[in-house]
Parts: sequence; structure tokens; C-alpha cells
Amino acid sequence: MNFKIVKSAFVGLFLSLFVINAQAQNKTVTGKVTDSKDGSAIVAASVVGQGTTIGVRTAADGSFKLTVPSSVNTLFISSVGYASKQVSITGGELKVSLVESSEQLNEVVVIGYGTARKKDVTGAVSSVQAKDFNQGVITTPDQLLQNKVAGLDITSASGQPGAATTVKIRGNNSVRANSNPLYVIDGVPLDGRSARPSAGTGFGSSPDANPLNFINPNDIQSIDVLKDASSAAIYGSRGANGVIVITTKSGSSTGTKLEFGTSLSTNAGLMKNYDVLDAPTFVKGLAKYGVSGQDFGSNVNAMKELMNKDLSQNYNLALSGGNDNGKFRASFNGATTNGTIKGSTLDKYVANFGGQYKFLDKRLTLGFGLTYGHTSENVIPFSNNAGSAGNIISSILQWNPTQKLVDASGQFIYPTNGSGNPLAMLKATDDKVGVNSVLANIRASYKITDNLEYRLLYAVNSSNGARATNVYGFMPGFSGISGVGSAAISNAALTSQTVTHTLDYKKDITTKLNLDLLGGFEYWKSDYSNNSFSGTGFNTNLDVNHLTLPYTNMMSNALTMNPPSTYVSPTTELQSYFARAQFNQDDKYYLTGTFRADGSSKFGANNKYAYFPSVGAKWAIINENFMKANKLFSNLALRASYGVTGNQEFPAGASQEQFAFGSFNNAGQINVANPNLKWEQSTSIDLGLEFSTKNGKVYGAIDWYNKNTTNILFQSTAIQPAPASIYFINLPNAQLNNTGVEFTLGANLLTKKDLTWDVNGYVAFNKNMLTKFTQNGQDIQILTGSIDGQGVSGTLGQVITNNQPINEFYLKKFLGFDANGNQLIANSPTMAGNPNPTTTYGLSTTVNYKKFTFVVNGGGSAGYSVYNNTATSVTNISGIANGRNISLAAYNSAEMATSPVAASSRFLESGDFFKLRNASVSYHFGNYGKYIKNLNAFLSGNNLFVITKFTGFDPEVNIDKGSNNYPSRSIEYLPYPTARTFSAGVNFSL
Amino acid sequence: MIKSFKLKVFGLVLVTAVGCTKLDEHLNSTLTNSQTANALGSAGVGLLLQAAYTDIGGPFTAQDNIFSLQENSSDESLVPTRGGDWDDNGVWRVVHAHTWDANHGQVLNVYNALNKINFDATNVLAFSPSAQQAAEARFIRALSLYQLLDLYGQFPVRNPGDNLLNAPQVYAGAAGANFIISELTAIIPSLPTTSTPDKANQTSANVLLMKCYLNRGAWVNKAAPTFADVDMQQVISIGNSIIAAGKYSLATEYFSNFDVNNGASKENIFTFVNTTGVGANNSGINGTWAKTLHYNSYTPLNPNAGWNGFSTISDFYNSFGATTAMVGVTQFKAGNISGKYADTSVDTRIGGRFSWLSTPQSGIKPGFLIGQQYNETGAAEIDRKGAPLAFDPTIASDMKETGANLEVTGIRVVKYTPDFSNGAASYGGPSGNDLVIFRYADVLLMVAEAKMRAGSPDVAGALTLINQLRTARKAATVTSMPLVNTNNPEDPTTLLAERGREFYWESQRRTDLIRFGVFLKPWQYKPTDDPKYLLFPIPSQALAANPNLTQNPGY
Repeated sequence: MNFKIVKSAFVGLFLSLFVINAQAQNKTVTGKVTDSKDGSAIVAASVVGQGTTIGVRTAADGSFKLTVPSSVNTLFISSVGYASKQVSITGGELKVSLVESSEQLNEVVVIGYGTARKKDVTGAVSSVQAKDFNQGVITTPDQLLQNKVAGLDITSASGQPGAATTVKIRGNNSVRANSNPLYVIDGVPLDGRSARPSAGTGFGSSPDANPLNFINPNDIQSIDVLKDASSAAIYGSRGANGVIVITTKSGSSTGTKLEFGTSLSTNAGLMKNYDVLDAPTFVKGLAKYGVSGQDFGSNVNAMKELMNKDLSQNYNLALSGGNDNGKFRASFNGATTNGTIKGSTLDKYVANFGGQYKFLDKRLTLGFGLTYGHTSENVIPFSNNAGSAGNIISSILQWNPTQKLVDASGQFIYPTNGSGNPLAMLKATDDKVGVNSVLANIRASYKITDNLEYRLLYAVNSSNGARATNVYGFMPGFSGISGVGSAAISNAALTSQTVTHTLDYKKDITTKLNLDLLGGFEYWKSDYSNNSFSGTGFNTNLDVNHLTLPYTNMMSNALTMNPPSTYVSPTTELQSYFARAQFNQDDKYYLTGTFRADGSSKFGANNKYAYFPSVGAKWAIINENFMKANKLFSNLALRASYGVTGNQEFPAGASQEQFAFGSFNNAGQINVANPNLKWEQSTSIDLGLEFSTKNGKVYGAIDWYNKNTTNILFQSTAIQPAPASIYFINLPNAQLNNTGVEFTLGANLLTKKDLTWDVNGYVAFNKNMLTKFTQNGQDIQILTGSIDGQGVSGTLGQVITNNQPINEFYLKKFLGFDANGNQLIANSPTMAGNPNPTTTYGLSTTVNYKKFTFVVNGGGSAGYSVYNNTATSVTNISGIANGRNISLAAYNSAEMATSPVAASSRFLESGDFFKLRNASVSYHFGNYGKYIKNLNAFLSGNNLFVITKFTGFDPEVNIDKGSNNYPSRSIEYLPYPTARTFSAGVNFSL
Repeated sequence: MIKSFKLKVFGLVLVTAVGCTKLDEHLNSTLTNSQTANALGSAGVGLLLQAAYTDIGGPFTAQDNIFSLQENSSDESLVPTRGGDWDDNGVWRVVHAHTWDANHGQVLNVYNALNKINFDATNVLAFSPSAQQAAEARFIRALSLYQLLDLYGQFPVRNPGDNLLNAPQVYAGAAGANFIISELTAIIPSLPTTSTPDKANQTSANVLLMKCYLNRGAWVNKAAPTFADVDMQQVISIGNSIIAAGKYSLATEYFSNFDVNNGASKENIFTFVNTTGVGANNSGINGTWAKTLHYNSYTPLNPNAGWNGFSTISDFYNSFGATTAMVGVTQFKAGNISGKYADTSVDTRIGGRFSWLSTPQSGIKPGFLIGQQYNETGAAEIDRKGAPLAFDPTIASDMKETGANLEVTGIRVVKYTPDFSNGAASYGGPSGNDLVIFRYADVLLMVAEAKMRAGSPDVAGALTLINQLRTARKAATVTSMPLVNTNNPEDPTTLLAERGREFYWESQRRTDLIRFGVFLKPWQYKPTDDPKYLLFPIPSQALAANPNLTQNPGY
């Protein structure tokens, strides 16, 4: 080393200090920053002298001490989640109270491989912070977001706790199933599949599990929804359905804290009933339709008898702490959630431990995270595609209300009308699923220079699921089960790994031009396998009075073992290079460009790499000189972006010729290879306007987008003779277009000392249209949307075809009834309605009055149709002739009991609804006694009511009725009913 | 110094990470083409051949596949809509009423299933099979091409190893017939003379060849079939050689050809083997009785013992009547279902009490089920409303049952005796009855028919064979039997009716009705017809995919 240089630097530093000192007649300001709502301290708020870079953060008690030049007369105080404030420096200690704000400009937004301040983001990103999440009974993170983000449409596939959801960002972007967005947790992209084995029970296939089940909702700090291509293109070939980025909480650097929370909930009936006949009406019906011998004299409401009223419990414990050099957080969540129907439960245990520590003068940061989640489910006989033998929901709906479920001697009563006894079904099935998941990551970042940082992320996400399914043989009337019993043991394993290297270079090129360059490499790999073995013919449990061991505990007793099945999915590997450049000139002009090259093992040999560029620009009008004088706006900005994202959700192995083994001595080709197979490409444009008025009184955004999906991955008809009826191609000309407008608006209506009132909401319009959907010059017409049940086997009710929205209903028109009360149906199906909501909206409001907080969240969808398959084939009029219950609508119609069943436009109903998702009131006791801090108690109701004309259980429904791997949308068939729940809870910290 | 070291380390990390995979896809549970050839060795081609055999089971058994197109389109079978059941968007009614179109799901599924057999059989040829393996594969392919030509009037054929993205050649009509005949002629010498009935041998190939010669005239001109004498002589000579070889004979009990032990039948020439309780490679033969039996037909599974669908028409049932000397038997007439059947000297193929002992566990008898049904204890069964479970032959004219008796209309047909060797599990699950594809009885009746259709008809020779069969079935011998009554397809005195009595519900009826020139005649629940229905349409999807296919006239 050169001593001279050191010396000169030393002298320079000394001189500069002297100069500053010489210039400054300083003053010291002290104060305390508190929450306007309850006066609690705001920790780590930023306090900066206006016009300087001198600042401090508030301590654990909210206090600060800052020395500023005497010329500074104003402090700028800001904190995440609060409206920033300018405070004049007066003589004494400053008391600053900040108002909680939904305006999120200063919040940090996770933008993929990095973060940015909300105001620096050029794309359409919606960020939802923990404090704004939905409350009440939450089992999976996606429920936190329902009706919180414009353009995000989340539909549960089932009301069963932990069931999968259909998540659409800005419309329906795919003609295939499995088109959910990419989930990224703390930088780790998830596979999207679940290791929960799906086992058939003889009642049909059960709905899938939610891949986010292993996450503790209380661990989540924020969820960012990357909606446009400018934000999602950095995720390349997996970004086309949008990206949902989940960031978990990390410890705080201001001391140790223990947080505890618990809640108890109970089901209080159904959100909405499905109207079948009560006993008196049923008796009238028997007379009306001339049915004899079916009045058993009782008055039974099977749905009530089967309702689960057990208490659900939820316990949370989190310990966090740290100092300037590191922080950690450990948490535990134990919850048991009871489904609407007896016997249906989800137990969930999640432990999470994470931390990050700084070394080498804080140049090196090492972090780690470990999440272990266990879910244990009790599954009831419930399925997407129950046939004529039905399942528990059909047995409940069809139950003759004049017949008891159990006779005086405690024996189940079995009707002879083709419907099962739902209580017996519960007793006869024992179906347990356990899934263990681990998400472990290790992160390192090193500041090579002040401007250049290297980051490494390695993560593994591994899940194992095991399922033991028993159907006991005592129950009569089930082919292959009655008198013999059946059982299956299934296992599944899913492991994905991620390695990400990034280099981040931040530089202020001039005082006015900032540059942020990011480059990186990512390797991602995923493996999935499952196996199962099953048998029938057992010696036990063939009599309800002699139930002993589950069959799955003694499988060797089976008379007949089916050949075990094993499946190992092709390994999926992605190898990607990406880069992002962000420019910010003068806080007025922002420009972001991203580029990703994705290589995928799924792609055909001729197309191994895909390239995804995007560019976004923003003009912060508010910072222009001509706006300086404006008194209205505190933020006004225009955004525009363009980008290309991809979708590679087709079955791995589709590009190669595959030969599969069948049973012994049997092997054959199973697919038509397509070496040209590649990704589906979505090109999108987004224009946005953001604004907020002074002090954040009113804020909002308007976004217009146009998203065009081309190279559509399509199951083309194989040219026979062929080993399969379809194969995957990229359709050359077809376009799937989603165009829409999103309006988000919020206002702080009242900001009095003891009373504040915020309202915010959104409305989003989307138009979905498939064009140029042709092959060999002819319109492609794909029928999908299975209509199931007795009498409608093989009927498909939706079509994917040219110049129509995806999954347009395609049904025979209902023409009324003939003189004999038989329904008349047109001969040929016609386009009957759009199953994709064209309008979605959400509304939230929060009122703080003294120590009370009232929150109400709701939302809905409009402009779409739902097909009521339950009414078509389960509660149709023909049931009453055999003593099965029927729907009130059928009873009130002119139809007679001998009318043929048929799928038709008669059962296509408007899906428009408004749902009050959540209303809660909480009381903030504040600190209590010596140790208890932030004591809070709440009462909350979920799914309190729904306003809709739909006659089924819930218009927000999407039972998987796909056919041949084509998706369906908005069909109701024996859904797991949505419960109205009430919870009460308390939380505090130590 | 330190800095450059850091950079090196950093560079190393980056370089090791980058370029670590070539992104070759590992399939894990399947093999690529080249792996297949290597991994399976010389035995591998046998596995591929077995896959082709396995393909046969499903489409030849399922109620909504070949059976539906060949039987529901005929006067032997239909599926009435029963109030809340079996509407299924009208798919069953349009097949019986002859109003189907090119988008009919069954038309597509049959086309795809047959071509899957076609493909898997052809694929064997790409993996260096032995002469016999190649011959077996080509036999299986010929079996699928026979059905394709018969149903659709044309079929595609690929060369082994073809690029599957290219459209294959298509054979139609006479060219199609010639192709199948030349294939069979070429392979017969390479086939074994004997084998288990589930594997191709010279006899099974010869039976298929006979069917090609017999039907060639109908394939060339379905509206007005003509029969070349050379074809008829081929049928006669091949048939005679099978008869003369004496390896096959008629069973003493007709329904033993279809019961759970039918693997031992001397009459069955080619079958698909099913094993009780074994799901793998099982064709789902239990569907053959489930599709017709009532929900309550078998007490332990009540109320879901059957699917209560498929029935036959009373006119077809009556074709067992007139000339068969059913002593003391009251022929069924609408409204009279209480006729008593004698226990002897009745055409045993009608079933009923003759086969009582076949299913002592259930009371279900093979054959035609009419009137009150009884369980194994002799107790009268009841339907789901508690009314007597008595099958009523009268079906609603539009095939939409709306009456109070809608559950019990239609005569039911149980060809395969329900398998009770494993209790309820085999009744409703994997059952052991082998699916019969070719029977010796067909050899006799084809030769008889060819003798009657030959340039110089040999009626006496034909009657000898017909009476040989009738005697075995305990039906009275006949002294004359015309081919067909073109005014009445169900006229009991004809050879067409004899074939109906022998092969009902064996997926032969449509082919026979066309060959005998009466497929377009009206029969119960099919009032009028259009000549285009002599062929099924090429499914719209298949037509769009392969430009070499030509849509059949009228569609």
C-alpha cells in the first residue's frame, strides 16, 4: 500500500469534516413518532432533514434524535405503511403521529430478483401488505388476496379446506388446464404441482390440493402480483400467466419480540343453501307426481345433519429479534380447520426459521430460511365427477326428507332409490392424506464494490405425500365395494431445486441519472413421482357393527391386489440467463428493460431456448417543474410497458417419442413426438396512470392492457393411425386476446384523532376472445366441460372455438315443456354464454374509532354464466319418482316426474354475485400489565352472505370438469358447500 | 491482489454454475425410440406385439364403442332414454334412429381406437420382428382395418417407422378390401397352425379372410351388394378346410361359449382373454351385463347392480318364433309377456330357464330377459319404487321413456353370463369371461351363405350346415331357408334371422343387415332412412387432420 495515498485520504477526510463543521451551526432535534390510531410507537421510521441526506431511524420506543444544520426547518418523516409527513422543527420535543395509509408509494415492491420502491416501478405490480390481507379462517395464502387486487380472479375449486384454487391474472390466458400463475416464495419459484396423492375412492376423482398449503399465512409480509409483461418477463417462459411473489417476514433489528395469536372459529350454516324440498313440500310433491310408498313420515334435513359444527383452532407463535448485524425469526403455526361437512378436516403445522447476518463490515450477508409444513387431511367421499352412484353431496341433496338417516336401533337406513346414505358413506370411508413439505434456502450477498453486489440463492422445495384410502364393504349398492371393501395406499414426491446467481450494479452516473443493472443465471430442476397399490376383497368391516382395522393397515388380507402403479415424471430442467437495466433520470423519467433467455428440457430438440424481452417506461409528471405549484396532487405518473412472456405448461416428454411399459410383457408407444414443440408466447402492452392527492387523501390507478397469446400450445388431433388421439403443437396463427381496464381507487375519508375511515376498491373489466383459431383452413372446435351424472354421460357443455371466449357454453336450447310436462330441448347445441367474468370488483373499508377497528371486505364478479350441473342430473325432477329429493326450482316448474333428463340452456344461470367475504371488529387494548404489549382481540365473520340469482351453493365455483386435458370454467357439480364461519381471537406480543 | 482473487472465485462460481446442463430431457418412466430397441433386446418386439393384442380388448368390449356402432345401429339393440337416465345428450338415440353426424363422439372414439390397434400393430414391424411375430402383428392390423373399412368405407395405413406428422395413405372400398385380403393371404403361412384362442393362428386369419371375401361385394357397393362367385368359392373352400381339420366344434351348451370358463370352449376361435379379479389387460367384460341389467337385478349390489340401459326390440326377439318348433311356447306378442316356455326342444339360444344353473348365485339368466325377474331364492324382484321388476317389451316410439314403468321397459339381453367366481367383486369388477371375437358357428354359417350366394347355389349343402348348427342349439331342423325377406328383416324363416339368433349382440348385426341389403329398411324405433347411413362419416377431427381422407357421401 501507498502510504501517501492513505495520508492524503486521511487529510482529505479530516478537512472535509472540518469544513462541514465550520459551515454548520447545527441544532439537535428530538422527538417521538407514533401511530395516529392508537398512539403506539412506530419503530424504524425514517426521519430526514428536508433537503439534506441527514437522517436517522426511530428506536424501539419510536424516539429519535437527529442533528441537522440550523438552516433546516423541516423534517421529512416516513415509514412503510404510513402516509409520509413533513413536520416543522419547533423548539421542544417533536410529537409526530403518522396516519396509516393504503398508499404504497414508498413501500418496497418485490419485482423479481430484486426489489424497488413502488414509485420506481415501471410495470403493473400490485402489492398487498400483511395488514391489508383478508382475515378470518385462512388456510392458504391465496385466500389472503381474494378481492384485493384488480385483475386477479381467485376461485376455489372446492370449499374443502386446503383445496386448489383457480387463479387468473388479467383473464384466461390458456386453452389448457393448469394455467395458474407462477408462485415465487422469497425468490424461489415453486413447481405448482402438489405432492398430495390423488386417489380415487370409487366415488370419482377428488379435487386437487393447493400447492401453497405448506405456507403459514401469518408468516407472510407481503404479496406482490406481477400483472404485466414488463414485470413478469424476467420470469420468461413461466411468466405468461402472471407471477405471484410472496415475501415472508424476517426478524427486526430492534430487539427481541415474542408474538402470540390464537383464534377459534365455527361454521354457522352455509353461506347459501341449495334449495331442495323440505319434508312437507316433499310430501306434497309425492302427491303432485303420483308417487306412492315414499312418505316415511319423518322430517329430516340431511344437510343440517351433516353440517360440521366443531370448533376450528389456530395458534401462532413467532419469536424474532436481532441487531444491526443480523436478525432472525422463528414461528410456529398449528391449526385445525373443520370443513363444512362432518368428518372433513385439515390439520396444519408449520414451523419456520430464518435469519440473516452480516459479516466483513457488512459487505457479506448470509441468510437462510427453513420452512417445514405438515398437513394432515381427512377426506370425505367427495368428487369432481361422481357418476350415477353419486357421492356424499349428492346423497345429501337427494335424501328423502321424510326418511330418517338412522333407525331406532342405530342402524343406517339405506334407501332403495339409487342414492346412498350420507352418514353411512362417512362411516364407510376412511381417507387420510398427509403431506410433509420443506422449503429450505440459503442466500448470500457480497458487496464487491459499493456499486456492485453479487447474490447467490440456493433453495430446495421437497414434499412427500402419503394417502391411505379405505372404503368399507358394509355399505350396500356400490359396485366393486359392497360386500368386499376396497383400499389403496398412494404416495407422491415432488422435489424442485433452484440456484440463482445475480450481479447487481447500481450507479449514479450523474446526480440526476441513476442506473441499476442486474444480470443473472438461474438453474431450476424439478422431479415428481407417485405410486399406489390397491386391493379389494377383505374379510372385515363388511358389517357396520364390526368395524375393526382400516384395510390399509392390513393390505395382505386383500383377496385381489391390483398391479401396483408407479410413475416417475420426466425431469424438468430450466437454465436461464437474465438481465435488467433500470434508468431513473431526475425522478421524472424511468426506463426499465429486461431480457431473459430460457432453456427448457421440455422444449423440442429444435427449439431449446426461448427469449423474452420487455421494456417499461414511466413519466413521473408530479416531479416536473410545471407541477411544483399544483396543490392537488402528491403523485401523478404515467406508465407504459411492452413485453413478451412465455408459458411452457405442457406435459413434460411431449416433444419426444415415448415408449411406456404396460403390464407384464407389454410395452408400446404412447405419444406422437413433436421436436418443434416450444413455448406459448404472450405479448402484452400496459398503459397506466397513477395518482394521489396531497396527504394521500385520494389515490388510485387506471390501467389498460392488451395481452395477446400466440404460438398457442394445442392438443392437435393426431393423424391416425397413431399411438394417441392427440399430440401437442404450437398453433401458428391463433390468437388468444385479453383486453381490459382496471380502476383502483382509495380514499381516506376521515382522519380525525379518534376516528379514521378508509375506503378502497377496484373494478376490472376484461374481454377474452380467441381469434384465428383455425387449422387447415377450418375453425377448430374443441368440446369440453363434462356434464356428469346419471343420464348425461359423455355430454360436453362448453366449446373452445374461433371468435368466442375460451370455454363458451355450447348447449342445446331449452324450449319449455310440452303438454305432459316433459322438457323440450332443441336438437343442436348453440353458443349459450360466456363463463369468464367480464367484470370483477372488490371493496374494502376500515374504520378506526378510538381503540376499535372495523374492517369489511367484499367483492364479486359479473357478466358471466354458471352451469348448474347439480340441478341437471342430481336434483332433477325424475328423482322424486324414485323417492329422491329434488330441487325447489324443479318442483315449482311445469315439469312432470317422467321428463327426460338433459343438459340444456335451462340450467345455465347468471353467475353475477357480490360476496361479503369478511367483516371483523377488533379492539386494541394496547399494552396490558407489565409484559403484555399490543394486546388485540377480534371477532370476525367470513362468507357472511352472497347476493346472487344463482340457485346453486356458490356462484364463485369452478369444479374441474375438463375433458381430455382441456380446461372447463364455471360449472357447478356437487361442489363442496361454502360455509359461513365466525371466529374470535386474541393476539399480543411480549 | 485480493480483489483479483475474489474475482477469480466469483468467476469460478459463475462458470461452474453456467452451462451445467445440456437440457436433455430425462423421461424417467418411459423410453425413447432408440432406448426401446436397445433396452428390450430381442424380446422387446414381443412386448410391442402384446401391446397390440391388448389394444383389442377395450374397443371390442365397451358398450359405447364398436358394439354401439355395429349393434345399436341395427334391429338388435337400442338404448331408450329412461326419464332421468340414458339421455346422454341423445348419443344413443341417434345411433339407433340413423341420424348421427360426423361430430358424434362414438364415431370418433371408434375411429381412434381402431387406429390405435392399427398403429401399435404396424409399429411392431419397425422393430425387426420374427416372421411369426410380423404375421401376428399384420393379423391384428387386418382385424382393425376390417372394422374400419366396414364402418367408414376407408382406412389409413402407415409404413413402419413413418414420421407421424405426415399424412398416411388411405385405402377405400375395393382397394381396401384387396389390401386386407392380400395381407391375410401373405401372412397365413407364417402363422402357427394352433395357438391359444387369444393369439392369432392360421384358423383365426382364415376366418377373417372368409369374412373379407363374403363382405367384399358389400364394401364395394353397400347400397346394392353383389357377390362374385370367386369370392364365394373362396369362402367355401377356406371354410371347408377349417371344418375338415376338425379342431373346432360346436359347444353342447350355447352359453358356455360366453361364461367365465369359456376359455375351454372348443367353439371359440379368437378371443380376448380376461382373468377374474385381475384389472390389467382386462377388457371390462362386466359391462356387457351391467349395461342391460336393472339397478336391482342383483340383490347384493342393489340399487346399483346394473346400468339399466341396453335393450332389444320385440320384433327381433320374435325372430326366434315361427319356424322354431318351440313346443308349447307362446310367441311373444306386445302386451302378452306371460307365455310359458317348455324346458325342452326350444332353441337354446333364447336363453331363459335353460341356463338357470349358470348363475345360481343371483338368479340372473343369460339370454333374453322378459317379464318378472327372480333372484336366486326364487323370490320376485322389485324395482326401485317397489313395483315388480318385470321387463316390458314395449318401448316408447321416440325412445324417450316417460311412463311410470320407464325403468323396466325393453327386453334385456345377457349374452355373457355374469361371473360370480369371486363374489360381488368379479360381478362388478374385473371378470373372467373371455371376449369372443370369432366363433366356429360363424364358419358354418358363412360357408352356408356362400353356398347360397354362389354362381350355382348349393342350397342343400347350405341347409346341411344350417341344420347342423340348429341341432346343436336344440332347435328344429328346417327344410328351406331363404337368404332374406327384404320386406321384413326380422322374418324368422331366413338365414339373416338365423345369423341374428346365433350372433345377437356380438357386433355382427349391422354388417349382416348391409350384406343382406336391408339396412335401410325401417324397423322398430327407426322409421325412415337415408342411404348415407350405410357408412359412418369420417369424424370431423380426423378429416381435418388427414387431407388424404375423403368424407363419405352425404355427410
